[in-house]
Amino acid sequence: MPLKIEEVLIAAAMAGMALITFGNVVVRYLTSVSFAFTEEYSVVLMVVVTMLGTSLAVAAGRHIRIGYFVDLQRPEIRARFEIGAMALVIVCFGILFVYGARLTWDEYRFEVLSPGLGHPQWLYTGMLPLLALAVVGRALGRIIRFARGEQA
Amino acid sequence: MTGFILFGAFVVMLLGAVPIGVALGLAGTLAIWLAGQSIMAVPTNVYAGIAKYPLIAIPMFVLVGSVFDRTGVALRLVRFATALVGAGRGALATVSVLVAMVIGGISGSGPATSAAVGQVVTRSMIRDGYPRAFIASTVGAAAATDILIPPSIAFIIYAVMVPGVSVPAIFAAGMFPGILAGIAIIVPILIISWIKNFGGQMRETEDRLTVWGTFKEAIWGLMAPVVILGGMRIGAFTPTEAAVMAVFYGLFIGFFVYRTLTLRDVYEMLVEAGELSAVILIVVALASVFAWSTSTLGVIEPVAKWIVGLGLGEYGTIALLMIALIIIGMFLDGVSTFLILLPVLIPIANSFGWDLVWFGVILTMKIAIGQFTPPLAVNLMVSCRIAQVPMEATIPWVVWMILAMFVALAMVVAVPDIALWLPRVLGY
Repeated sequence: MPLKIEEVLIAAAMAGMALITFGNVVVRYLTSVSFAFTEEYSVVLMVVVTMLGTSLAVAAGRHIRIGYFVDLQRPEIRARFEIGAMALVIVCFGILFVYGARLTWDEYRFEVLSPGLGHPQWLYTGMLPLLALAVVGRALGRIIRFARGEQA
Repeated sequence: MTGFILFGAFVVMLLGAVPIGVALGLAGTLAIWLAGQSIMAVPTNVYAGIAKYPLIAIPMFVLVGSVFDRTGVALRLVRFATALVGAGRGALATVSVLVAMVIGGISGSGPATSAAVGQVVTRSMIRDGYPRAFIASTVGAAAATDILIPPSIAFIIYAVMVPGVSVPAIFAAGMFPGILAGIAIIVPILIISWIKNFGGQMRETEDRLTVWGTFKEAIWGLMAPVVILGGMRIGAFTPTEAAVMAVFYGLFIGFFVYRTLTLRDVYEMLVEAGELSAVILIVVALASVFAWSTSTLGVIEPVAKWIVGLGLGEYGTIALLMIALIIIGMFLDGVSTFLILLPVLIPIANSFGWDLVWFGVILTMKIAIGQFTPPLAVNLMVSCRIAQVPMEATIPWVVWMILAMFVALAMVVAVPDIALWLPRVLGY
């Protein structure tokens, strides 16, 4: 899977956040209308950026971590640590997928509405399990690359 | 018992190079599971942990950093500052500190500033007769002022986590301690340069830099912190809005004044800033699982009570926290340090009745020192890579800068008004 998909979506979401906020300022100063309820969209876009960016950073190994002690080891051992770390990434985001999906389902069943705009909340929360799946996929891809002995 | 498993699992994963967010999230989940609580708390906390409006300032300020990085503002600031201070011993090193401080007023993260300044000054500093290890030390230490001089991502996280502290208040409080830290770093840099005869060796000056000519270019960059801080000061913008205004201001400069940007750059900036923010925000999100489990298990209060009960007094406790934080700051970035330790630190501060804005500033100063203290200094990692030296080589130089910044920290501890005067007169 090319990383392009995440990249394009991240760029769109970041641009969306910037434009919503910019629009907010312009509208507030030119008219007396408050646009502040759009914060809700910005917040969801930020959740989307977070999950997609996490996915990109997992694929490239750019997450914040203490590499110091592992980097002292021989390359074979290091690859094993890396595979172990990616397995834990899969567990973590796997949990977010399964239980996040259940959370979304509950919100769908009970027709929870968002506090600001009154949209169905599950559309927002659903981003979490959906994109957690992307992170799991990227972690799997990285494990496969390391198991084949490629330097990622 | 569960408390020990929680921290034990976290530390083991952390030392095994598991991404820090995942280590926090899984340790928290394990504790929730062992305590027989519902795992549903995990997704709930992760979503609630990031779906907070004030946090939007983080991706937007990261984007500001990316935009100004690509417009070439750093290079023009260096030219202007060089034209101002001339080219004597230690001059260019001083310039790089001053430029790092101005960039600190635009971007919000230390390693990013380290990269921006390092890329611009390293080559000319080598030609001017500075050893590479000294250059890496200077850039790494100078970039540490970035998380003090507003905007600062560490401050945003602090304000979001600590009730009663607003982002504008702590931004204002960081201003003078940040400037003080910058001046403190310049002192040993100048002394070392004078004694060791560093700098001022550049024979041919390729193009004569006039103060006025370079100023006309640099003024656009110099105005950026004014746009950000001024806009917030007069109440025109929230921090997030100020960041977005700075993004559009930066794009304007890049497209129409310097003409250095293309649409392709804009796309790449958005992706780069998105990923950089995500790396921070996912730690924030997963740390909320950790925080939730520590507070439900009640493992925090005993630790805080124990530290307060040591009977070290105010300054003794600050000294203890200082040492602990600098050691942790050597391993971890500022944001992660705050996320893990603030739940313990805030009750301690409250029991001594410390001002929480001031407390945030001194904590951040400690973290800033940790950012350029080898062997795990995040800023030095970046500046050493650019200068192509191993980090060990910086030790003889960087210790003096660490010492100098300690003096600055001690001054802010002793005279809280260095931090608190500005937010007070601004009325935050």
